[in-house]
Amino acid sequence: MATVLETRDLTKHYRMGASIVRALDGVSLTVEQGEFVGLLGTSGSGKSTLLNLIAGLDRPSEGSLRIFGQDLAQMSSTELSLHRQKNVGIIFQSFNLVSTMSAAENVALAMMFAGVPRGERDGQASRLLETIGLGGRQTHRPRELSGGEQQRVAIARALSNDPHLLLADEPTGNLDSRTTAEIMALLKQLNERDGKTIIMVTHDPGLAEKYADRTITMLDGKVIGETAAVGS
Amino acid sequence: MTFRDTVTLSLRNLSQAKLRTSLTTLGVSIGIASLAGMVSLGVGLEDQLVGRFTKSGMFDSVTVMSGADRPGGLAAVGRGRGGLGRRGFGGGRPSTAPPPDTPLKDVTDETIKELAALPNVRDVYPTLRVPVEVKYGGESEFAVAAGVPMGVKGEGAFQSIPYGRFFASDDERACMLSLDFAKRIKDADPKILIGQALTLSYASSSGGMVQQSEMTCPIVGIVERETGPFSGAGGVSPLMIPMGKAKDIFAHSAATAQALLRDPTMTSRRYQSAVVRVKSAQSTQDVEDQIKKMGFSAFSLNDALQGAKRGFIILDIVLSLIGSIALAVSALGIMNTMVMSILERTREIGIMKAIGGSDGDIRRIFLIEASAIGFFGGIAGVALGWLVGRIINIGANIYIQQQGGTPGNLFSLPFWLIGGAIGFSIAISLLAGSYPAARAAKLDPIQALRHD
Repeated sequence: MATVLETRDLTKHYRMGASIVRALDGVSLTVEQGEFVGLLGTSGSGKSTLLNLIAGLDRPSEGSLRIFGQDLAQMSSTELSLHRQKNVGIIFQSFNLVSTMSAAENVALAMMFAGVPRGERDGQASRLLETIGLGGRQTHRPRELSGGEQQRVAIARALSNDPHLLLADEPTGNLDSRTTAEIMALLKQLNERDGKTIIMVTHDPGLAEKYADRTITMLDGKVIGETAAVGS
Repeated sequence: MTFRDTVTLSLRNLSQAKLRTSLTTLGVSIGIASLAGMVSLGVGLEDQLVGRFTKSGMFDSVTVMSGADRPGGLAAVGRGRGGLGRRGFGGGRPSTAPPPDTPLKDVTDETIKELAALPNVRDVYPTLRVPVEVKYGGESEFAVAAGVPMGVKGEGAFQSIPYGRFFASDDERACMLSLDFAKRIKDADPKILIGQALTLSYASSSGGMVQQSEMTCPIVGIVERETGPFSGAGGVSPLMIPMGKAKDIFAHSAATAQALLRDPTMTSRRYQSAVVRVKSAQSTQDVEDQIKKMGFSAFSLNDALQGAKRGFIILDIVLSLIGSIALAVSALGIMNTMVMSILERTREIGIMKAIGGSDGDIRRIFLIEASAIGFFGGIAGVALGWLVGRIINIGANIYIQQQGGTPGNLFSLPFWLIGGAIGFSIAISLLAGSYPAARAAKLDPIQALRHD
């Protein structure tokens, strides 16, 4: 199995006034293709920082971070934006849809940045919304959609440029338990049926254990435990 | 991201904030209107004055002097103006000039043909001033009758004729008077002179005998302004007759006969000077140089026109600086709008970066938004400037007419000004938008996504 992600002594520190906060402190881990990894930890453990680094939204302070063999630490900001376009799809806790655009336009926007021609991206957006069960809601604005529906639009957007790696940051944090189950089932389906590699940040050990193949637990910027989930 | 998509997205963003976009665009259009209006005023005034000067014949004509007349030439022409005040044939007798002491060429019918064949020359006619005795109602005065070519009809002092009309043909038996001269004859009401006949009496030569000839000609027009002697073709003399008639009188005048007697080798009549009319004022200098090269003595008032044009360039610069103040304010308006809009859309910028938008994409989106404001503001500004110019022009022309002036377009809006104003508007907007756009491009996506 190919290695999707490999980090070596990955470190990230922030300057907060006079003091330096070590958000990540020498993290080394590997994720193989097709894995569903749960990143578990309390608030401030560094799990979201790690996810942001993998997404290419931020740069490491030290260490290496390779995705499909390419070191993100060495990339220019333009290369990082290409990485975000092609390699990863990001799903946020607060959905992060553009409020003035319809569901279909939100999905198409990601393809617009990737330079996909208009006709093609409209068709693809429509197909994606169809497959995740939002066929009839394409022209709706985010505020006309429920939380679960908004997250589905965000997932469709994350899939629009067909990335290998899906990054989810507390994807069900704003959802009730029934919708949580639906969204998690959708992610699980994308992982199992479509072979997407998924890294999901969560503070809920139950969720990680139930859906992830493997759970990585973090505390104070360090990996403190790696467990294979029950049932995998 | 393709350019077309960037434009689409930018226009879409602008239409999301219609009120703010239209207010900013209005601000830009006022700035552009003030700038375009000011430049338009400068250009309009220049067109008016230079155009009027050019039509006056002062700048598109070159005066060519006969070689023999050169030393006293200007004075001889100058004497023509005094006219009636002086008694006797003191004035323009060409033969009284000193004999030729320079190799410069003379102005004759032949050389006039040569001059007319030069490129960029519209017309050439001799300056003809014949001394006559004017008789009207039992009184008589001496005056110099100037030959007026048909080519100056509607130009210079003949642009408007207060009473009567211009000559109908080159050999019409008719005369025109200056208003001053007409008043001297009939002070109370000069316009009743129209249609009345004057008798011109002059010395002619026939078979070596000098005799007195007479010609009766009705007054057909009275011209208001009496310009100076150097006004080229469009000037007004106290008494004017058609050029053809003047040539007739000149041919038979005793003075010409005297000149022939003195120099029997002279094959053609020699004139004091001739006026060369140039097709456009720009080529005056070229023509003048060519004429000098041909061996004539020539001068023009072209330099004065060039000076006036330089003055207008300075006026244009001053006017555009004044107009630019409003544009500077509207540029700050664009900046303000963009900064506000970026603050408001911080989260959206974060989202766009997270899903693959590059710094360059974000920068371009905002730059295109700014230039679109500039483009639409520029178009609206030119339209607004034109409208305000028209309104001021109408008002100003009413005033000018009340003051007895000739109405005209004070504002001129040539195509280069329309294109230039819109282009400048886009450029200024891009400049004003570049700082906000750079700020948007540099936003940290993680910070931006946390923004609410």
